[in-house]
Formats: sequence, structure tokens, C-alpha cells
Amino acid sequence: MSVITNLASRAGSAAQSLWEASGQLVQPSLRIGVTGLARSGKTVFTTALVHHLTRGTSLTAFRASAEGRIRRAHLAHQPDDAIPRFPYEEHMEALMLERRWPQSTDRISELRVDIEYERKSGWRAGPASVALDIVDYPGEWLLDLALLDASYAEWSKQTVEGSRRRDRTPLAGPWHDFLKTIDPAGAADEVLAGKASNAFKAYLNRLRAGDEAVATTPPGRFLMPGDLAGSPALTFAPLDLPDGQAIAPGTFAALMERRFEAYKTHVVRPFFRDHFQRIDRQIVLVDVLAAIDAGPVALAELEDALDQVLMAFRIGRNTLLSRLFSPRADRVLFAATKADHIHHTDHDRLDAILRFLVNRAARRTEAAGARVGTVALASVRATRETTIREGRETLRAVAGVPEAGERVGDEIFDGETEAAIFPGELPESAEAVFQGAVPPGSLRFPRFRPPKLPVDAAGRMGKLPHIRLDRALEFLLGDRLA
Amino acid sequence: MTRQPRAFRLDAPDVKSGSVVVTEEPFDAIEAADGTVVPMGERRRAPWLGILLSALSGLLVLGLGLAVENLIRDLYAVAPWLGWVALGLSVLALTAFLAVIGREVSGIMREQKIEKLREAAADALAVKDHKAAKAVVSDLLGLYNARAGAVKGSARLMASMEEIIDADDRLAIAERELLAPLDVQAKRAIAGAAKQVSLVTAVSPRAIVDVAFVIFAAVRLLRTLARIYGGRPGLFGFLRLAKAAFNHLAVTGGVAVGDSLMQQVLGLGLAARISAKLGEGVLNGLMTARFGLAALAVCRPLPFIREDPPKIGDVAGELVSRAEAAAQ
Repeated sequence: MSVITNLASRAGSAAQSLWEASGQLVQPSLRIGVTGLARSGKTVFTTALVHHLTRGTSLTAFRASAEGRIRRAHLAHQPDDAIPRFPYEEHMEALMLERRWPQSTDRISELRVDIEYERKSGWRAGPASVALDIVDYPGEWLLDLALLDASYAEWSKQTVEGSRRRDRTPLAGPWHDFLKTIDPAGAADEVLAGKASNAFKAYLNRLRAGDEAVATTPPGRFLMPGDLAGSPALTFAPLDLPDGQAIAPGTFAALMERRFEAYKTHVVRPFFRDHFQRIDRQIVLVDVLAAIDAGPVALAELEDALDQVLMAFRIGRNTLLSRLFSPRADRVLFAATKADHIHHTDHDRLDAILRFLVNRAARRTEAAGARVGTVALASVRATRETTIREGRETLRAVAGVPEAGERVGDEIFDGETEAAIFPGELPESAEAVFQGAVPPGSLRFPRFRPPKLPVDAAGRMGKLPHIRLDRALEFLLGDRLA
Repeated sequence: MTRQPRAFRLDAPDVKSGSVVVTEEPFDAIEAADGTVVPMGERRRAPWLGILLSALSGLLVLGLGLAVENLIRDLYAVAPWLGWVALGLSVLALTAFLAVIGREVSGIMREQKIEKLREAAADALAVKDHKAAKAVVSDLLGLYNARAGAVKGSARLMASMEEIIDADDRLAIAERELLAPLDVQAKRAIAGAAKQVSLVTAVSPRAIVDVAFVIFAAVRLLRTLARIYGGRPGLFGFLRLAKAAFNHLAVTGGVAVGDSLMQQVLGLGLAARISAKLGEGVLNGLMTARFGLAALAVCRPLPFIREDPPKIGDVAGELVSRAEAAAQ
């Protein structure tokens, strides 16, 4: 049965790819996936990206822009009518006028930007256009893709075992206690299903609030249910199944298994088919600073998560056939966001730590023929750089307006005063972080408010400053604008 | 010692009183630190002129072939042995022609390879792409491993191939091990040419001789530089390189002037006061040096990453100081 559905879905996706490839002849388009785990800065990145493209900022390292070949870029009607539009204007207003960070999104959204540009080379010189589809989706959803190949029994076993790790037992305690009271072979009880599911969700929530700070345990939709909240497909939980026993029909375990499969069919597979496998270029945003701050456990968890994220991609160099029937993501960029929280003399270290984290994943990707890049960037630069001299000591610091309630040392900020913050020193090498070179409290990265933009004489707002957003752009779409 | 995180309110009393000094750094320091990248090729247009010339030369070759065939047939008619000799000669000519073409093509391909390397290196630097950096380094090794002088450097470079290091560090190592010695040679060649030109100009009796010698020296310098960095330009390859060098000179000329304008003007002024001829010599020498630097930039397979790009003072400083010495 599953073989047939599998074959059918593959044939379907091949047909879809072929259809889209033929559409490329009429209107060339490039689909960029923007993802990252919660709080990594996806929304701000997408907003800043669209802002710079549509405002026509000259971006030094983005070659097409630096050479003045981009004539115009404007928002256009998005191709998928069923996906929420990325509320760019709303976010822009929040950033520029209210000077607050936009509301984070917990669902997929899309925006199309038409770029009209001048071709650079050879035979086809002259004007051209490319439609840039930016798809923004939570990174947690990617972890779900691993479920596609797992059965309920396997997943249960894996999840329960994972929760019994020593460092997780305090968090998983209540759920374990509840788990003991459930008999997998008992009757299929709807109320019990709800309770089991809630206990499991509570555990997932504690995991995310805990030291690890990132949620790598699927299902990702449990923490960000969107409009599926409360539906049966989201009301299940792993059970402590006895080894080697088939699940008998009519039991509680059978009910859970059915819902697990429903989750796969109604949540994971549509996402995979409709969005994920159509992505040409991918940027994965990573909040490395927060993970370093949280300590080695969080960092190790992040490394695992990134590895799994990259596993999910259909990656590799495109051949003529694969372009037609099963296109692959041929460039993946990992970006350490919030680089404006540290002085630029530390950016190299940040980049090195990020590279260390994705090293395993990157090697595999490169072996498949795709290009993997890393960059330390700030989509919106909220700080300026300063040197602080106090007595004989010199500190290279960043200055900005910390958000209300942020605290560094014994200063608590009110969200209005400017302050120069020395966040501490990043360790020289990434390995050192795992060996505990960063004692708790030796780094502090307060959240800054978005920068105050200068208003020119005509009353127009200035442009959002950024750090290396142009490099990210060059990597992601530079070759398509050549 | 790790330093603890600190916060300084900008309106705090000790900041205002000056016991803690907070200095703003330039806003674009980050972009400056990242470095702007390399001379890039200009926009290419559709190669219609090239097609026209190719088509015409094709016709010319056909015409030549016909003429030769007629000639041989006529010679056969006069005496068979003459025909055989002519046939032999034409086969010889054809072989030589093909060999020349082959050499030109391989020279141009080598040049293109060097250009590609430079662009790939710039790309790899721009996005810190490890795979690309690795590929560039191994291509560089392929370019230089036959050199006697590069054995040690390439061995050291090979040893670092498998290490996990930054893309720009990797390229910088390659630059240091393989290109730094060549840079020294190149600088010496440029300085030599500049000196020679200034000397010849100073003593030459006729302006036409100056001009001829300046051109001759520039041509020779370009070929020398190309050879130093591993190119083997034939005639067409040479023309390509020369064009690239002039383009580069046109783009960077302003900058090059900026860094040493005072020196040039001073040197020239002093020398010119001694003798017009000497001043002209210095001027021509400086021009040659400038051209040499541009040629160096287009022949070098990597952009300058950590090594300092040579300035006009490095290769023509001697001219100016000599002129000053003469003035005293």
C-alpha cells in the first residue's frame, strides 16, 4: 500500500516539477526558502531583504546591484494563492515607525518580488526579469520530514528513549509519570488521547524553555500548531510500547498510530510536496550567539538540529533531467544572525563557530555537489561600533538602545537610553566552547531596539542598515542575475 | 583573562565627565574590514566584431587554399618534381600553421584559466565558500607544481589542504607559499623595466626613439610578467592581456595616482629643473612602472589577499630618489 502511495506521490511531484520547469521558460523564477529555528530572525531577514531590493539600495557585495544592473524590483502577486502572504508592509511599519521587532510568525508565508535587471554577459545581453519567490517557514517543520520514513513504533521508541537521557529526566518527569499510567493495549479512549497529547506537549514546551533552547524533537507542529490546533491529527503522543509486539487493532496504541499516520498525511507530506521540494536556494538562519550563551548542551543540540535540517533537503547539483523532474536545492547558506551584537573584530570567530556547527552537515552537502556557504550577518543592524576607554583598559563594544527590561551587570534598561555594551569575548575556537571555555555569565547579548532611521529633508525614511546582507544575497541569487 | 560583559549608559555621569571615553567608530568599518574585491571583468557585449573578423579570415584562408592549389597544379604542369616540392612545402607550412594556432590557443586557454582562478578566488572570498577555495588552491597547485622554486611551498600547502581552516586563510596560505616569491620577481622586473626606460629616455637623441623604446619595454615587461605568473601568451593572448592591463590601468589609474601623487610630482619637478631630458626620463619610467603594476594585477592568478599589493613607490621609488640625488 505504502509503496503504491509512495510511487504515486513521486509521479505526482515529478509531473509538478515538469510543469514548473516549463513555466520557467515563460517567466523565470527562483524560489528562496528562508528558515531557521524559533527566534533566529527569519521575519526580520525577509523584511530587510525585500526592503533593500524594492528600495533599490546599492549593496556593495551584491554584484548585480553594485554594478547598477538592477533596474527595478517590486512586489508582485504571489503564485500560490493558498499560502498566507508575508505581511511585509506591516513588519516594515513596526521596524521603522514603532521601532520594535516585528511579530514572529509561526506559519509559512510567501512573497514574490519581480526583479528587472540588465543581463551581464554575452549572447543574451539586455533587459530581463526574474521572479523571486521568498518562502518563509519555521525550521521546526523541517524536523518533521524525518518522520516520513519512520513508523509509529519506531518514532515512539526513539522519542521515549531520548527523553530518558540523564539531562532531560527532570524535564520529562511529569510526562514519564503519566506515561506509566497508560496501557497501550487498553481501549481507544478519546479523553485519554487528549490527556496524553497534552502531557507530551507540556514536555516539549519544557524542553524548549530549558537549557537546550531549541526544540529538536518532532513533531514540530505541536509547538506551532497554527490552524490545526485541536484536530485529531495533532492529538497523539508516543507510547512506551513493549518491544517486538505488533499493535493490535482497536487498542489505544492503534488509535495513536492512526493519528500519527494522519499527521504525516495531512501535515508533513503536503508541506513537503507543496513547498519544501520546490525550493531552489535555501538560507538557514541560526542564532549562534544565543546558543553559545546557553552553554555546550544547547550548542550540541543546535548542531544536531542543523544536521537534521540539512538531511531533509534534496540537495545536489542539478542535471538537465533532475531540473525537469526533481529539482534540487543547489545552494544552501547558513547565516549566524544578530552579528550586530558583537564588534566586527569578533565576527570571524562567530563565523568559525557557525562553520564548526554545520561542518558535518556541510561536508555531506558538498559531497552531493551543492554549494554551502556560511556568513555572519545582521539583517537589520541595530548598533554602532564604539571603543570604550576606561583608565588603561580599552574595550571594543557596540552601542545601541537596549530594549526595556534588558539587563547587563547591574544596569537595567528602560528602552530609551543609549548604551555602549561590551558583550564579552567570544572564544577563539569553536571546539573550546564545547570544552566549557564559556563559563555561564561571561557573555551577555541584550536585545537592542531597531535603529532610529534618519529622515531626509523631504520626509522620507532612510534605509535600514545591515551587515553582510549583500553577501548573503550574492550567494543566493548572484548567479541568476548574471 | 576573559573580560566580563559591561554596559555603559551614554548619559551616565562618568561617561559625561570623561573618565570613561566612548568613541564612535566609522559606521562602514565592517565593510572596510571585509575588503572590497578585485578588479572584475567588464560587461561583455555580443561578439559581432569577432564573428566578422573570423568569417573574413575564414574566407581569406579558403582563398589562400585555392591559390595554393592552383599554384601546385600549375607547377605540376611545368614539371612534376616542382609540383612535389611545392606540395611538400605547403604541407610543411600547414603543419607549422597548425602548431602556431595550437600554441596561441593553449596560451589563451592558460590565460583564461588564470582569470577564472582569480574570479573564483574572489567569489570564494566574498561568501567564504570553502569548497570553492579548496578548488582554487588545488588549481593553483596544478599551475605551479612543475616549478623548481615552488616545491617547498607546494609541499607546505599540500599539508594544509585537509585542515579545517577559513576560506580566506586557505587562500592566504596559497598566496604566501606560491605567489609571494613570484611577486618579488615581478616587482623586480617592473623596477628593472622602469629604470631602463628612464635611462634610455634620458640619453636618447630623438623623441621617436623614446616612444619606440617605451613601447618595446612595455611589451617585454608584459610578457615577462605573464611568464612569471605562469602564462605563456602568444600573439593573440598577448593582445588580450595588454587590453586587460590597459583597462585595469584606466580603472585604477586614479587610485594609483592618489597614493603617490606627491611623490611623483615632486620627483618630476626636481628632475625637470635639472634637465628636461632627465624629467622626461623619470616620467616615462613612472609610466612604465604604472603599466607594470596594472599588468601584474591582470597576470596574477589571485587577488591580493593578505600580501600588500605593490605600490608605485615599491617599483619606481628608486627613480625618484635618484632624480632627487641628481638635483642636489
